[in-house]
Amino acid sequence: MPALPHHHSRHQINYDPTPAHELIDGLEPDQLVSATSRPLQRMQLPLKVHIGLWTLRIFLLIMTGLIVYTFVYQLP
Amino acid sequence: MSLGIESAGRCDEPPPPLTAEDRDRSLDRVRVMQARSRRRRWLVVWLLLGPGVLAMLGENDGPSMLSYAASGADYGIGFFVPFIAVTFAAAAVVQEMAMRLAAVTHRGFGELIFQRFGRFWGWTAAADLVVTNLVTLISEIIAIRVGMAFFRIPAPVAVASVLALVVINSLGNRYSRWERVTMGIALFNLIFIPAAILAHPSLGDLGRAVGTWSPLPGGSSQQVLLIVASDIGATVTPWMLFFQQSASVDKGMTPADIRQGRVDTILGAALAALAGIAALVAAAPLFYHHVSASAIQGGTGFAQALRPIVGYAPSVLFSVGLIEAGAVAVLTISASTAYALGESVAGGAHSFNNSWRASPIFHSANLILAAIAGAIVLIPGAPLLDITLNANLLATVLMPATLVFLLMLINDRALMGRHVNRRAANLTAILIAGLVTVAGSAYAIVAALHP
Repeated sequence: MPALPHHHSRHQINYDPTPAHELIDGLEPDQLVSATSRPLQRMQLPLKVHIGLWTLRIFLLIMTGLIVYTFVYQLP
Repeated sequence: MSLGIESAGRCDEPPPPLTAEDRDRSLDRVRVMQARSRRRRWLVVWLLLGPGVLAMLGENDGPSMLSYAASGADYGIGFFVPFIAVTFAAAAVVQEMAMRLAAVTHRGFGELIFQRFGRFWGWTAAADLVVTNLVTLISEIIAIRVGMAFFRIPAPVAVASVLALVVINSLGNRYSRWERVTMGIALFNLIFIPAAILAHPSLGDLGRAVGTWSPLPGGSSQQVLLIVASDIGATVTPWMLFFQQSASVDKGMTPADIRQGRVDTILGAALAALAGIAALVAAAPLFYHHVSASAIQGGTGFAQALRPIVGYAPSVLFSVGLIEAGAVAVLTISASTAYALGESVAGGAHSFNNSWRASPIFHSANLILAAIAGAIVLIPGAPLLDITLNANLLATVLMPATLVFLLMLINDRALMGRHVNRRAANLTAILIAGLVTVAGSAYAIVAALHP
């Protein structure tokens, strides 16, 4: 899967322009900061997945609300 | 996996520029590659140990050890001994997936959610993590404070010690240094084992518990649900996934290291389960002397309650264990927050291989969250005990969302290629997600109906 074009300026001030080959060989190409700084393409989620994620989120918010309610109720 | 960047290392192209972060990571990787080429298998395993062991032993934190101790005090040696082992097996299953995601994608969990699902879900996951981590960090510092109180060390000194530990440990500017120092501290988690031995447990009871899962816990369903949900929250939590994945990325793991990553994860789970069961066994004498955990919670802790029953030495070990459990958890949990925030903020560097100057967001987040937690602990009259009891429950309740993202990412063939989950792993992970959801929501509903 292709990465998106580079938008970040992260770490550019500290680049070593002539690294030793041993160090380059130590990392996989897609492991370099210059590679991992490029965001991946966004996944196209089907509608049913969106609905599932929202349903789960609402359910978890209700459960969290219940935990918070019990916590506040039990305070001395 | 191809991320569309394949030119590095070709002789017809200039070498890619390396950052300081790349250079340090590469130095660590070269050692692994040399050990592998010389067929020194144990050295390879040793070099690749870290994220799994730290995630698991980090999760054996203050509230977790107190939760296991409460299980032992309220129900003795029985159902909860094999139950703790099973929950760590479940943790190993999902943590292995996080490690595999890291080795294949070289990106953190928060980063992947942001990039593959969009900013909304990315920030939602990050918010879940920050909230649960803040609550958990408060309870870690409470555990350290309680442990130090046993030795008459005042609370402000305890909090200052925690913050000093976070700062000093991040000054090394090398992931490998941070990891090895934290692992060294984490091994003291096993101090609960001699504490358990000194409690003189019945081997017959232990064998019967492992073989038959009995005696089953009795009493009120709400209390049993609280302990079950709390013990689950003590082993399978969102921060562990974020931490192990980001730490594996920081370590520089690749698909070639997945086998050793599994060893790291399973070893961590086994050590953590041993220590967790040991905490339960160490507190079991309270059950036999009919001292309930709820009666202890109003006092100064398990260590002091155990002292008249099992003597001074096990109490000291229990207190030191609590301090250690809280300290390692503060380091790993604040690191997971720092990684997640560093990954969430565009352009934010997120590596222990970077200095404070190169990674200001990462290192500041690491310290600031711990400082906020410490400040809350020092507020006079703050409901510290209630916060501690609810920390694991909050993690349990919010865990299903994290597990769903994990399952979607690990089955993303465009991302993982041939490293996607197999059917058995998916079924196991779905079962775990279901159990976590049922346990967390059952307690939330029952407790709200009968507060």
